[in-house]
Amino acid sequence: MERQIINKKKRVFSVEPNKIPPSEVFTRKYTSLLVPALKKLNMNKNSSQVNQLTVKHEVDMALALSAQEFAWSRFLLQKLSSSNNPTTTTSSSSNGIRIQERSGKEGGHEDGEREEKLRELQKLLPGGEEMNVEEMLGEIGNYIKCLELQTIALKSIVQDTT
Amino acid sequence: MLESLVSLECMSLSSMDVSVLERLKWLQQQPQQQQQVRSSTNASPELLQFHGTNNDELLQSTFSHFQMLGSGFGPNYNMGFGPSHETMDGCISRTSSCQMDPADTMGIILKNSEENIAISLKNKRKSEVKTREEEKTEKKIKVEAETESNMKGKSNMSNTEASSDTSKQTSKGASEIQKLDYIHVRARRGQATDRHSLAERARREKISKKMKYLQDLVPGCNKVTGRAGMLDEIINYVQSLQRQVEFLSMKLAVLNPELELAMEDLSVKQFQAYFTNLPVVAASKPSIMIDAPLFPLDQQGSLDLSVINPNQATSIEAPSASWETQSQSLYNTSSLGFQY
Repeated sequence: MERQIINKKKRVFSVEPNKIPPSEVFTRKYTSLLVPALKKLNMNKNSSQVNQLTVKHEVDMALALSAQEFAWSRFLLQKLSSSNNPTTTTSSSSNGIRIQERSGKEGGHEDGEREEKLRELQKLLPGGEEMNVEEMLGEIGNYIKCLELQTIALKSIVQDTT
Repeated sequence: MLESLVSLECMSLSSMDVSVLERLKWLQQQPQQQQQVRSSTNASPELLQFHGTNNDELLQSTFSHFQMLGSGFGPNYNMGFGPSHETMDGCISRTSSCQMDPADTMGIILKNSEENIAISLKNKRKSEVKTREEEKTEKKIKVEAETESNMKGKSNMSNTEASSDTSKQTSKGASEIQKLDYIHVRARRGQATDRHSLAERARREKISKKMKYLQDLVPGCNKVTGRAGMLDEIINYVQSLQRQVEFLSMKLAVLNPELELAMEDLSVKQFQAYFTNLPVVAASKPSIMIDAPLFPLDQQGSLDLSVINPNQATSIEAPSASWETQSQSLYNTSSLGFQY
């Protein structure tokens, strides 16, 4: 089955080199990475104890590997490889909620508000804190795109297994 | 020193009928004066100022087009950037151009004087050490080109945004007027000479461009005006996407044991589903226009979801119809402002 996917990918690349929209390239890469990884997880663990965290780890890993043209993917890979417990992603989302509320209350200084929001964005983006604002804004754009594609791919995987 | 300049000035002012070319030739034929001037590098900014204040009325009338060159030299001089004979040429070219009324000839003068200055730079430097000469000329020419391009970029921007900027500038102009600003009468008065403000402007332009792009990307951003609100929307959107991914991965973790069974169909179905579902996402963003430089996702071109929109009508299939409704409900439950 994996070979099927790989062959399909190869074939498409060679036959229509100019017609593949890059979003498709991403999704193909992504699924071809994630699905085998999940299978392997399944086979290795063999118990019903497939941790949600490890799945998340695989998911993030697949995201990072299939979007290697972007700076944030490098940061994500670093984060993933350094910490084997991918607790960071879950905590960051909860942090995001808290910060959001706080910034909603602050009414004052426009520029300060804007800067704080930019800083929030930076926190959301993997590696965003190490970039400057310009770069970060550009990277956020393609990060959003990749996240969307990732959700689509995940949904289809989930769909197909139910 | 100053007297020589005064004499130059008098010459230029008195003989207004002398053609431009003659004037420029005269420019080139002043080696001795320039060497004199070169010896006193410190006095150069003062010379400029001296010129500026004296030639006020004359220059103001014609400098609407001249500010490019003038301001190009201005910051150079302020930073002590070049030897004085450049300032000489700058001064002279300013005085020489003050007689020209039509804009076209101004442009020609600018170009000619620049070329001549470059040429004169090259010519005069032969007497000095050659390596140092070439370095300096290159540096200067580059800097001139740089500042010129900056000014050109700025003037382009000013052409497009003059209305919004004039108010800012007039308020800023009061705080930032230097003596050299006397010479620039354009709308971009206060911001012209400052290298820092130039760079800042360019940076702000880039950032606002990217914000506009993000606005197209994030659904629902069009209704919110103002940067803070937009940023809020973007933050919400990114957070919701991340939460979705988490939720889905959780689901996947639960379903993982059954994964193997359904795996064989995955490759085919998944791509079908992909094609039919992407329009669902893209429908909320009908006007996606993605900049190539921002999305170097592939060598083949820019990420272009709008290409898939035409597929919407053709590739909807029955097996995935239920998926669509399911995905819509998923979006609705977890969305913070999605619209379909």
